[in-house]
Amino acid sequence: MNGVVYLDNAATTPVDPRVVEEMLGCLDATGDFANPSATGHAPGRRARARVEQARAEVAAAVGASAAQVIWTSGATEADNLALLGAAHFYRSRGQHLVTSRTEHPAVLDACRQLEREGFEVTYLKPAPDGLVEPAQVEAALRPETIMVSLMHVNNEIGVRQDVGAVGRLCRERGILFHVDAAQGAGKLPLDVEKDCIDLLALTAHKVHGPKGVGALCLRLEPRLGLVPLLYGGGQERGLRSGTLPTHQIVGMGAAYRIAVAGMEEESSRISTLRDLLWTGLARLPGVRMNGHATQRAPGILSVTIDGVEGESLLFELPGLAVASGSACATTHAEPSYVLRALGHGDRLAQSTLRLSLGRFTTRSEVDCAVGAITAAVGKLRAVAPGGLVA
Amino acid sequence: MTGLDPRYGAEVRRRMATMSGAGDLAAGPGVVRVAAGDREQGTEIVLAARIDGDRVVELRFRAFGCPHLIAAASWVTDRLRGASRTDLERWDWQELVTTLEVPPAKFGRLLTLQDAVRALARNWPGALRSTV
Repeated sequence: MNGVVYLDNAATTPVDPRVVEEMLGCLDATGDFANPSATGHAPGRRARARVEQARAEVAAAVGASAAQVIWTSGATEADNLALLGAAHFYRSRGQHLVTSRTEHPAVLDACRQLEREGFEVTYLKPAPDGLVEPAQVEAALRPETIMVSLMHVNNEIGVRQDVGAVGRLCRERGILFHVDAAQGAGKLPLDVEKDCIDLLALTAHKVHGPKGVGALCLRLEPRLGLVPLLYGGGQERGLRSGTLPTHQIVGMGAAYRIAVAGMEEESSRISTLRDLLWTGLARLPGVRMNGHATQRAPGILSVTIDGVEGESLLFELPGLAVASGSACATTHAEPSYVLRALGHGDRLAQSTLRLSLGRFTTRSEVDCAVGAITAAVGKLRAVAPGGLVA
Repeated sequence: MTGLDPRYGAEVRRRMATMSGAGDLAAGPGVVRVAAGDREQGTEIVLAARIDGDRVVELRFRAFGCPHLIAAASWVTDRLRGASRTDLERWDWQELVTTLEVPPAKFGRLLTLQDAVRALARNWPGALRSTV
């Protein structure tokens, strides 16, 4: 990739060429470009068939039936539809929600909106290893709690929550359970039935699918009520109006189909590369891995490197595409709220790199990254007052 | 768009590449060492100067901070070689803004560097400590 080693797959992934090929079949006049809601003619029906095939593929990846899948523009919209839609629908039952401090902003900001509307939200503090214990969730539940929201895999540190245990305790109490699975679905086994998940947010672009498409998988029996966020043509059973983007949806279906088919092998290969990366970086003094050592997704490694400042470290790594411990998706160098929630001070949070591997990451790229980071850390520590030497 | 990060100008890139002026001076007659900033806050600077008579004859820096801060500390080691105590007292961080294309959000870090330069003046060998 233009000489740059791409280790930011937790931010987004390149689209798999096999996915691209299927998407291209839905764009021009020779393909299935028609509006899938226009089922009064053959091209529309063909497009609808492609959409429904993709729906089944995405559903199968998470143990759901096709009827449970509602297309959205991505996980952010799916999270918002789940949280706002369900909270509004079930408001008369209670106005309390439980989530964690390390959720994605798509969840945290939706919760803040609900607070502005009069809801109450309990934000659980994870342990220093990033895990939220089911007992913490249980202790936070109240008679008026209507929903618990917990992410499957944390996007910054890669820890994997025990969503099954939390789902079961919610189900026993008749409380809705929402899971943001943007980082974990298609990479780790996930089953909405076994894990008792009522609302599951998915995206395509974290699993080598296209950006701009996602899905909300929702429980059917008993049927969940949701108040939609968008009004219009009544697509997706009235829960998400808007013309369905056939090529995006087909891309998402293909991405999940491919991911699930190769999950075991890919997970093993990427875990091995991640461990090599960690082994290489751990040779440096003053380096620590963030998050639980084993209960984690295969592709994400967050490391805090003492004695270097994060922005300078990134400056010294022009050949690597990695994320720092500053807030993602913004231009501000605010220390990560996730790392701070785990007890990191601002300085250590800013001395953190997130390296995330994907399907196309190679052993030589990992070696290159270890070499580049080792050299950069050595250079910066050499000019820093006192402290560590590389 | 090129691969160059537009947040950093040519002078910052050059100084980060060479780290000109980085290091320390062995303790000895005429050598003054001062520190400013707080690593916990993301900015820490140590300046070491060898002063001969009424002039700074050699200056070295160590810095923990962003590329703009490191480049600024490097630049100061060149700029203030040959300076008098009065020059140090009067030195103002604002001349760095244009030279290093420092964004406003980082002006506070340059003030930390100015604190270090002023501390050199206060600790000038044989001088009475300033109350500033």
